[in-house]
Amino acid sequence: MGILFLLVPLICLFILNLPRRGAAAKLAPWVLGVVAVLQMVFAATSHLACWEPFIGFFTLPVPVALVVDPITAVLLFTIALVVAVVTVVGIQGDARDKVITSSLVLTVMAGMNGVVMVRDLFTLYIFLEITALSCFVLIATRKELRSLSAAFRYFILSGLASLAMVLASALVFMQVGSLDFALVAAAINGQDPATMTGLILFVVAFCIKAGAVPFHGWLPEAYSSSSSAISVLLAGATTKVAGVYAIIRLSSEVFAGIPGPAQAFMALGALSIIVGAFAAMGQKEMKRMLAFSSISQLGYIVLAAGLAGAAADVTVSLGGLQTSIAMLAIIGAVVHFVNHALFKSLLFVNAAAVEEQCGTTQLDQLGGLTDRMPVTGWTSVIGFLSTAGLPPFSGFWSKLLIVIALVLANQWVYAVIAILMSLVTLGYFLILQRKVFFGELRKGFEELKEARGALVGTSLILAGLTTALGLLFPFVLLLLQGFGLV
Amino acid sequence: MSGLILLAILAPVVGAFILPPVGKLSRRLRDLLALALVLVAFICSASLLPSALAGEPAYLQVVLPLGMSFGFLADGLAIFMAMISSFIGGIIVLYSISYLDNSEHTHEYYLMVTLFLGAMMGLVYSTNILFIYIFWEISAISCWRLIGFYREPDNILRADKAFLTTVFGAFVMLIGFLLIYSQTGTFDLMEMQGVSISNATVLLILVGIFSKSATLPLHTWLPDAGVAPAPVTSLLHAAVLVKIGVYAYARLFLFGFAIPEVWSTVVPVIAAISALVAAGAAMRANDLKRIIAYSTVSQIGFIFLGLATGNPLSAAGGLLYILMHGLAKGGLFLCAGIVEHNAHTKDIRELGGLIKTMPITAVSFLVCGLSVMGLPPLGGFFSKFMVISGSVTAEHPWIAAVFIVGTLMTIIYLMRAFCAVFLGTPKLGIVVREGSKTMVASVLGLAALSLVAGLLIFYPSLFVQEIVAQIGWLGL
Repeated sequence: MGILFLLVPLICLFILNLPRRGAAAKLAPWVLGVVAVLQMVFAATSHLACWEPFIGFFTLPVPVALVVDPITAVLLFTIALVVAVVTVVGIQGDARDKVITSSLVLTVMAGMNGVVMVRDLFTLYIFLEITALSCFVLIATRKELRSLSAAFRYFILSGLASLAMVLASALVFMQVGSLDFALVAAAINGQDPATMTGLILFVVAFCIKAGAVPFHGWLPEAYSSSSSAISVLLAGATTKVAGVYAIIRLSSEVFAGIPGPAQAFMALGALSIIVGAFAAMGQKEMKRMLAFSSISQLGYIVLAAGLAGAAADVTVSLGGLQTSIAMLAIIGAVVHFVNHALFKSLLFVNAAAVEEQCGTTQLDQLGGLTDRMPVTGWTSVIGFLSTAGLPPFSGFWSKLLIVIALVLANQWVYAVIAILMSLVTLGYFLILQRKVFFGELRKGFEELKEARGALVGTSLILAGLTTALGLLFPFVLLLLQGFGLV
Repeated sequence: MSGLILLAILAPVVGAFILPPVGKLSRRLRDLLALALVLVAFICSASLLPSALAGEPAYLQVVLPLGMSFGFLADGLAIFMAMISSFIGGIIVLYSISYLDNSEHTHEYYLMVTLFLGAMMGLVYSTNILFIYIFWEISAISCWRLIGFYREPDNILRADKAFLTTVFGAFVMLIGFLLIYSQTGTFDLMEMQGVSISNATVLLILVGIFSKSATLPLHTWLPDAGVAPAPVTSLLHAAVLVKIGVYAYARLFLFGFAIPEVWSTVVPVIAAISALVAAGAAMRANDLKRIIAYSTVSQIGFIFLGLATGNPLSAAGGLLYILMHGLAKGGLFLCAGIVEHNAHTKDIRELGGLIKTMPITAVSFLVCGLSVMGLPPLGGFFSKFMVISGSVTAEHPWIAAVFIVGTLMTIIYLMRAFCAVFLGTPKLGIVVREGSKTMVASVLGLAALSLVAGLLIFYPSLFVQEIVAQIGWLGL
């Protein structure tokens, strides 16, 4: 049924561009909403047997394997959720902008769905390019110099990543004769120079795509200069799927057991956590701070992905049950991925609300907004506590799983970094709270109103999801146990 | 029975979030509901007492994978802490009603206070170190909002400082917990009774405990947190928050793990330094709330001494100290709150002669102060006596001597504060009136309890001896 996740956005893209522009612009949010909801339903039910009779019907004569396993299903759901948030936040601009942007969002969605479903390196490359190309344009649609330069910077770096990836694929293909994940995994051992070079190039390519330190130069500008809806899309889903998800998949499946890439991902992940957190502390603008926070948080996922590769075959006995460290790390990474989509989307929605109501997101020009914008203020508290990994919010559990996996693998240095850097996360978010929300109302904001209903509603839903997932996580654990995963 | 534990935890935790909407309807109803929620926790805890004393504590367990199985156990220690916290919490809520009458953000205030007490209930009943950690952090979150209650830039900075310090401690403690986890594969304390843990682990956990209990060198957030409303400072300092660390010490190191022998000397030494330094700071401070806050840091040292020496007498004294100090210090802070509320200053150099216009507050302050100083026949005397005589028995005479010096310093700085504020000639131009009825009743109640607890010392001491007797594996 994997093909459905490509066809639905593409068909809708087609439908959206049929009517006249004025009508299409009115139709656009509905189309996006329907696609998002459909995808959520499909993803949530993808493991059920009711789809089996249709599988033959959906299979197209394309020699590409599209697999929907549990991780993929979770990611497809998350992607749809973020697109739903984008829809509600609303795409700004005139009719032409709306249609173009909505079309691009659908393309990005199809691209991301492809990325999470494919099982060979070349198709992965194609879908990554689809996603990236649409993203350049999405960033640039704001038509400000800042957005254009951000898009251009992303374009150049992403181009380098593509180049590295094609080269790497070629090198691996030379050695293995196939680019299928399973075949590559079985054949490579990272001994000969050509494969080694290929692996290094892959690491570089995906770290650029993910925005991991030291390849993060494009990310803060891209996030902070694009319009609100687009920054939610980029921060919540796109760059995570394009880079981070690919790292999870490759590190745990394709390069598993090869020390080089795994160690590199762990080191770069830890570096991202540290650099991102400290850089965020120095920011003067809300969206830039959130962007650096993203770098820091994706570091956790990359670190866990690296661990999944490094500890591929290690199991430990917990309470009489054999637990695979790699599996624990992957679960931690995927759950943190979902959590990040929730809390970072939430914080970007908060930023959008502040930007719309106050006309600025400069920290120095704001203050005490919770008094006038209670929902935005309080949901931002939930968002940042979850980001900092404080219980009882969902971010706590994913970080805990990652840290437990690190501890069981005896990676104490990384575990301590992961825990203590949460303190820095808390530190910069406290600065944000102090300057924007918590405190005395700044003069001139006496007449300030709460943001429009769509933003308030979205932030309430996202905050509710973050809290609920945190409170109900014991049930998630039981569910995972039921699947035999932990 | 185990349902009562859940009710004791969930009533304040869940109920806290009902308070703001209720407050939109009627502020008075909200205040009473908050009081009722805290009292529910108290009553549930009290009704769990008989079975705990009979040696059949209520227990409830939820089995989870990855060694995260958690449970709630209502043994003597847990009920003792829960009853003290919820009782003093109730008095504080009562006092808040008129104290905060004219303030903004009161919905948030009641939410956070009730949530805090609920987190405290969860913390004391949890038998899983991970869940202890979770409730620990929830309490830190509500304290952050409470310290910053008045929203002035300085308040927010200090709230952030308290938040960061305690969360730093908690993270370090979490690393310690993970070390234990990597050794045992579980977070469940019930499965870890008597497991030996290394010095490094003890040290990491102690960082968490000391940061929460404001013990040197992680104590500086506590005097700074005095910018919060008076009920909050007394809640934070006296009754509950700083006792979380003490409780965790008792739960983990007396009732849980076996720790190396050396800590029965190291912890008292740290406690002694903390007690002396903080007492010295209290003698030099001029802000009434800071004096009492430093006094708290100092007195916490006595509690750690009692719990750490590994002697049944001093351990019982340490537990008794939690009760006596909670009552007396809560009373002192609430008295200071009345003074600050009506005189609009807390600088003792500007105050004086208040006994003439606010006699009840002055007498309550004196009684609570005498209890903290440890003079008979007040409750504080017995706990202090047991702690110090226990540490002499445990062959720490020098440390005991240092603590006696600490006691003398306590007498000096508390008498200094009392004389400066209540005796002498009035220096303020205005007539400082007595507080409202509920406020005065609260402080008078705490002072009376400090006295009664001393006169009827038989009952609480029986209780703590019963608790200490449950530490079976120490061979006591």
